[in-house]
Amino acid sequence: MDISILTRAVLAGTALLVAAVPTSAAEPGRLLASQCAQCHGTNGAGPGFEEIAGKDLFNDLIDMKYRPIEGIMDRQARGYTDEQLRLIADYLSTLPGNGDD
Amino acid sequence: MKNTLNRRQFLKLASAMTALAAVPRVVGAATTAPRVVVVGGGFGGATLAKYVRMWGGNVQVTLVDANPNHVSCILSNLVVTGALPMSRITLAFDSLKANHGVTVMQGRAVAIDAAGNTLTVSTSSGNKVLPYDHLVLSPGIDFVPAAGNWSPNLTPHAWQAGPQTTLLKNQLAAMSSNDTFVMTVPKAPYRCPPGPYERACVVADYLKRKGRTGAKVIVLDANASITAEPEAFGHAFNVTHAGVIQYVPNATVLSVDSSTRSIVTSAKTVNNAKVLNYIPNQRAGAIAATLPLNSTGFVAVDPLTYGIASYPNIHVIGDSCAVPSSDGKAVPKSGHMANSEAKICADAIIRSFTGEAPDEDIATSSACFSPITNKTSSWLSTNFIYGDIFDASGNVKGKGMHRVDVGEAAADMVDGDSYQDMFIWADSMFADSYI
Repeated sequence: MDISILTRAVLAGTALLVAAVPTSAAEPGRLLASQCAQCHGTNGAGPGFEEIAGKDLFNDLIDMKYRPIEGIMDRQARGYTDEQLRLIADYLSTLPGNGDD
Repeated sequence: MKNTLNRRQFLKLASAMTALAAVPRVVGAATTAPRVVVVGGGFGGATLAKYVRMWGGNVQVTLVDANPNHVSCILSNLVVTGALPMSRITLAFDSLKANHGVTVMQGRAVAIDAAGNTLTVSTSSGNKVLPYDHLVLSPGIDFVPAAGNWSPNLTPHAWQAGPQTTLLKNQLAAMSSNDTFVMTVPKAPYRCPPGPYERACVVADYLKRKGRTGAKVIVLDANASITAEPEAFGHAFNVTHAGVIQYVPNATVLSVDSSTRSIVTSAKTVNNAKVLNYIPNQRAGAIAATLPLNSTGFVAVDPLTYGIASYPNIHVIGDSCAVPSSDGKAVPKSGHMANSEAKICADAIIRSFTGEAPDEDIATSSACFSPITNKTSSWLSTNFIYGDIFDASGNVKGKGMHRVDVGEAAADMVDGDSYQDMFIWADSMFADSYI
């Protein structure tokens, strides 16, 4: 816990020094959704399994999370809270993709 | 001892002050882009370099690797059996340069000056000193060999892909009927928990397909039982490859003699094996091992930033790091996980440039497909979420990455579809990390 305290103390110090600078505004869901890219491509646009960019997949993800596990996505969907799946789906829906399935 | 403590305390303070002092230089001077230096071009380092450039805007990123490209351990067991050529797992840094503006330096990281915020790199044209605002170490693993006379040039580990993979491939190809292939499973934690069991399976499958009648694979496991996918690999050992694979648990390696391909363990001794694939125990990669190590030889990190205790602008990701997790539910060391961690680290670094706190709504995962034969594969998926972590009695012991368990049932399916999916997964991983 020593780790966290010191790191965050320094980061907090950093924040004070640069308080005048606007935040970087990483879009909500971007970091969580980036964890899909190992299998669906950077920004969900392949190469990989089904393209996930440019679609609202929230209902699909919820379906996968709560149905019996048959495939790897049923397993993966259980690794996130419903709220996180909402953030992921909302973020992915804003990405252009390639129009592939 | 007293001197050591004083020196560490001093370094800790000096480093914290330096980190604070570094910030106005980064943010105050709009013309000076922050500098991120990354050591190691495996899945962790490559992903970190790419994503900092992709998400971070005006940030200079330099990737340091000893080799001109990265040879992937993922799929490398299929190079050992000759199913895939080496070119299939050789990943160039060209796209990181061309598509993402990453600077690549070929050389070996030899020293960190944490107080001065510089990294010294030994290159073919002498030492280079790289100043950094954030240093990210992703150097993979180093080996902790047993006593005796060990030479990986005689008895390859093939646990860092490249020439070692070719050496093991050639030794396997030279096996005849009734020969013995002996391999070890290192004591956990080690790189790629399912990997050694996968190797035993594809080697056994190769020997059977090539008609090497009576040839055996002896698996000497330093652990008490199969450490990953026990149902899938247990079935593979006892049924699919019964009569070929002999599995020996609790086999702590006591000594190795590479010249005679002999190994002594606490459970079994084998002399003059035809092939001895001794995979030693492991610790953090060389440059990370200059930092404070935990009791198992890895670097403890903050799960939100992958920063380390004494030096908050030095981060360790991938196989070298130890992420706080619930007891018995360790974060696995894998290429997929290194990619996952790199994104958390990249986001935290970018946020720190503008004074934002690290994101706490984070998750990591590792998926893996393991070939069991030349037509079938198992799959494994494991997910971690940030929050409370627990000791063995179920009491909260702090914050970290808690493994989300759903029971064993579904993770152990072995079939032909998974074998094809393995290549889709690997190609996607390769592209997300390197292209």
